Amino acid sequence: MYYPEPISKLIDSFTKLPGIGPKTAVRLAFFVLNMKEDDVLDFAKALVSAKRELTHCSVCGHITDQDPCQICTDASRDDSVICVVEDPKDVIAMEKMREFNGRYHVLHGSISPMDGIGPEDINVPDLINRLKDDKVKEIILATNPNVEGEATAMYISRLVKPSGIRITRIAHGLPMGGDLEYADEVTLSKAMEGRREL
Amino acid sequence: MHIKDLTLTNYRNYPSLAVEFDPKVNVIIGENAQGKTNLMEAIYVLAFTKSYRTTKDNELIAWDQTFAKVEGTLFKRNYHVPLEMQFQAKGKKAKLNHLEQKRLSDYIGALNVVMFAPEDLNLVKGSPQVRRRFIDMEIGQVKPVYIYHLGQYQKVLKQRNHLLKDLQRRKTTDTTMLSVLTDQLIEHATIILAKRFLFLDLLMNWARPIHEGITQHKEILSIAYDASIDIDNDADVDTIKQRYQAVFEQNQQKEIDRGSTLYGPHRDDLIFYVNDRNVQTFGSQGQQRTTALSLKLAEIELIKNEVGEYPVLLLDDVLSELDRYRQSHLLHTIKDKVQTFVTTTSVNDIEHETIRQARVFHVENGSIIKQEGDKS
Ligand SMILES: Nc1ncnc2c1ncn2[C@@H]1O[C@H](COP(=O)(O)OP(=O)(O)OP(=O)(O)O)[C@@H](O)[C@H]1O
Ligand SMILES: [Mg+2]
Ligand SMILES: [Zn+2]
Repeated sequence: MYYPEPISKLIDSFTKLPGIGPKTAVRLAFFVLNMKEDDVLDFAKALVSAKRELTHCSVCGHITDQDPCQICTDASRDDSVICVVEDPKDVIAMEKMREFNGRYHVLHGSISPMDGIGPEDINVPDLINRLKDDKVKEIILATNPNVEGEATAMYISRLVKPSGIRITRIAHGLPMGGDLEYADEVTLSKAMEGRREL
Repeated sequence: MHIKDLTLTNYRNYPSLAVEFDPKVNVIIGENAQGKTNLMEAIYVLAFTKSYRTTKDNELIAWDQTFAKVEGTLFKRNYHVPLEMQFQAKGKKAKLNHLEQKRLSDYIGALNVVMFAPEDLNLVKGSPQVRRRFIDMEIGQVKPVYIYHLGQYQKVLKQRNHLLKDLQRRKTTDTTMLSVLTDQLIEHATIILAKRFLFLDLLMNWARPIHEGITQHKEILSIAYDASIDIDNDADVDTIKQRYQAVFEQNQQKEIDRGSTLYGPHRDDLIFYVNDRNVQTFGSQGQQRTTALSLKLAEIELIKNEVGEYPVLLLDDVLSELDRYRQSHLLHTIKDKVQTFVTTTSVNDIEHETIRQARVFHVENGSIIKQEGDKS
């Protein structure tokens, strides 16, 4: 099928999004053509500013438009507990459940030798630095309950153990092999309650 | 249990097929390359979510098509259970009772199938891989959680082998991660090995009298588990775990030097003995076949014992490979108990009495052109 270049570029851009195949991309592209120009402009601006104005918090690694992020600067939160997650989406899932009032640390991935990802490639060294602060008494390892997430949690716990900081692993009320992101709030809060010592 | 009906859509050379089976014996007759094995494979796929002939699910989709579907109604414990497998380029779906099962281990085990194909006559003679696949498939269908551990084990193994390669090439020197992956590997390896020991013990108890029967009490069959670590076949979980821990600790440098995991269930094998002699090295071809046959028949009984119902038996091209005596022994054993599917190119290859009682399907170029003996 031949499309004029501007539309084939748009189709190509849509296919880069997760869950969007070639057919859906074509549908979305043609939908955009029929949108009002103002709406299209707002849409384009929103895309660019989401990318440009958001950075990673220099303390915890969460996505934010101010550095340090709102969670890190919130004085009412508990400094003594850090919850370690793989992805910013995990922070959002935890925040939705409103039961955790400590700080976060976002790794942006998990250790996977197969993909060439070692501890230095995810935010582990930063985490170790944060733990030098005496205020931290406990870390909760809430990496995904799959092979890589489990290995990452075990790895961190071995590094941290000598420091005497309490280390807990989020309990598996979660679907096995599943991602934290997809866990509903009930399972997630159960998992927080039943966390086990590592 | 038995399969009541089967519907294929774009499956291999079957564009569209709907067929009802006999609860006892079904004979599938056709020239070469008409689709007999494909039909057997479809039933196997319905049970195990994957083929035994290929690891690439895409090969199951008819050429020039984008998806394939296998649907069947299983009759089990007086209930009808609809099963469905769908294959597309981007993945597969398994549905049990019309509900999609996210974890394949939640699906496998609903339909129990024992397959006996010419390759299985190779069980004794073939590579260790053939025997590992045999044992894994059989445990998996009676204890689905085994499949979960096997899958996790494979993932950890892959990661660990990559890390060992990195350590070997000095791309990293971090052995903390290695010890993490070792512990993870041991978790699953221990469960896998313990389950294999248990299964083997059961299998041997069933296989021995069967083998004695086929050989008219001339041969005693025994099976040994040849582990990559030094361990008794009746060791308990704690002992197995400690043994693995010791072995991995002692051989860390050796594994780094080789850049690969040298111990674990993926390195194990089975050894069969007849009258205390290794059948693989010393057995005649006939003895090897008899051993394979005894094991398959034992499997049928074992599944009945574990699951409460007899599995479905698929005999693809094997009857003609067995002599009259073994053939009738096999047919006698399954008689009236086990729903059986038999393929053949010629009716003459099969005992007359069996054919007489069977429902017979003639297959030609991906469709059933004639059906006979429909009495039930
Ligand atoms: N994905 C596919 N799409 C279409 N046809 C296929 C596909 N895969 C295999 N076939 C064809 O299916 C045909 C039948 O294969 P099958 O193995 O079932 O034959 P068979 O009846 O068991 O023959 P034999 O007696 O030689 O064992 C083969 O000719 C093969 O080319
Ligand atoms: Mg065939
Ligand atoms: Zn922050």
